[in-house]
Amino acid sequence: MLSLLQSNSFILDSLSNFVHQSGIGLFFAPGGWKMAVMIGIACFLLYLAIKKQFEPLLLLPIAFGMLLTNLPGAEMFHSDFFAGGHVHWEHFAHGEAGLLDILYLGVKLGIYPCLIFIGVGAMTDFGPLIANPKSFLLGAAAQLGIFATFIGAYALGFAPNECGSIGIIGGADGPTSIFLTARLAPELLGPIAIAAYSYMALVPVIQPPIMKALTTDKERLIKMKQLRQVSKTEKIIFPVVITIVIALLLPSAAPLVGCLMLGNLMKECGVVDRLAKTVQNELMNIVVIFLGISVGATATGDSFLNVKTLFILCLGILAFSAGTAGGVLLAKLMNVFAKEGNKINPLIGSAGVSAVPMAARVSQTVGQQYDKSNFLLMHAMGPNVAGVVGSAVAAGILLAFLG
Amino acid sequence: MDKFANVGWGEMGLMTIIGFSVVFVVLVLLIFIMKGMGSAFTRQKKAKKVAELGSVAAAEEHEAISDQELVAAIATALKLYKSDLHDRESETLTINRITRAYSPWNSKIHGLTQLPEKH
Repeated sequence: MLSLLQSNSFILDSLSNFVHQSGIGLFFAPGGWKMAVMIGIACFLLYLAIKKQFEPLLLLPIAFGMLLTNLPGAEMFHSDFFAGGHVHWEHFAHGEAGLLDILYLGVKLGIYPCLIFIGVGAMTDFGPLIANPKSFLLGAAAQLGIFATFIGAYALGFAPNECGSIGIIGGADGPTSIFLTARLAPELLGPIAIAAYSYMALVPVIQPPIMKALTTDKERLIKMKQLRQVSKTEKIIFPVVITIVIALLLPSAAPLVGCLMLGNLMKECGVVDRLAKTVQNELMNIVVIFLGISVGATATGDSFLNVKTLFILCLGILAFSAGTAGGVLLAKLMNVFAKEGNKINPLIGSAGVSAVPMAARVSQTVGQQYDKSNFLLMHAMGPNVAGVVGSAVAAGILLAFLG
Repeated sequence: MDKFANVGWGEMGLMTIIGFSVVFVVLVLLIFIMKGMGSAFTRQKKAKKVAELGSVAAAEEHEAISDQELVAAIATALKLYKSDLHDRESETLTINRITRAYSPWNSKIHGLTQLPEKH
């Protein structure tokens, strides 16, 4: 009888231990509710990616990474291994690191964003920008979003390094945002990546009202001159010149710009087709999976469920709107000094906020709402790719100031 | 963050102004470089054409005709314009059952002028 009771007590203890150690039991531990909420958010993001197709290529792995990191007891990601902005290698040496910790090293060391930039470069045609170099001005003006948000974030009480990371959302460039945030404010990586990619998907919703509000009917009907043809030699020289000039002026922007231009050179030179195809497809896809999962993994309950995240989401909208307005307003200003026949349709200014090629498509769509025979797409591609270079330069400047 | 302990509104404002200005300066510098490169290439291309075709006027005329992008843009514009002119239809298909009473007028047998032969 006694032995039966002892045996029952042992079984009860074992069951109790099992329940407490199980993931379900951990939901009821202090702070466990945050994980449950984060799993709900991850499922919502999965819904947005799959059903609404909001940047699904990135949002899906990000949301799944978020789901994995918030599964109680799975211990797949440890933010304390990267505390203080450094990698604590001793945990990796002792084999304590989970799968997501290992994948996150690529973000922390700035590898994934640069590899993605090689792929982006290999898929980008800089021809419209070479044909009309004035587009660089529109790309620069659209970086207003970055700096307006930088100051806006400071007004809301963020530390200067956090302001830099939040401001870069205005560059509308995911890899640049992740590259800079991993260096300046890694604890904000989750919310910033989600804000950047969600708002990029919402460019067709955010931009048109601002573009219409800042332009007149007459301006929207401006037809631009046909762009000149760009020779192959020019397209080959362009990435080399840009890399040298930017790396000499701003060494901190060299990793991003250098990788972007390497990819572009692979595409344009025509002698390494196999490499160009690999970076456009296989490499890009593999890195996107790793980047998405590991960025999502940083969105733990403690780092995500706070007022800062709400502020970041609000500032993200401000960043995109200010960037759009900056590009459109500078195009209007350029028209004041331009001769008749050389005028710019201000609708292409909004494309300066990177988000390639979505922002250029928005310029084309809005332009065609007013004149079916007005084709702005190729003209808008100039500021669009200039925006990629501009946001990489802005990231380099912020890194030099705050890194 | 001790590093930013002495950073106030003044420093943040200055960083914003300098940062935005540097973006402009770098990109304006690139404009000059690209413009210089572009005009050098255009001159070189024109000189080559002139040498090939004999005169400046002939080279310009040839350039205008061979501008394939222009042709492609016109063709696309025409296609889009024509597709826009197409009548909009309701795209609703309905199948209504109609009762047709027998009549010699719709009878096949009465419609045949020559009866088929049985073998």
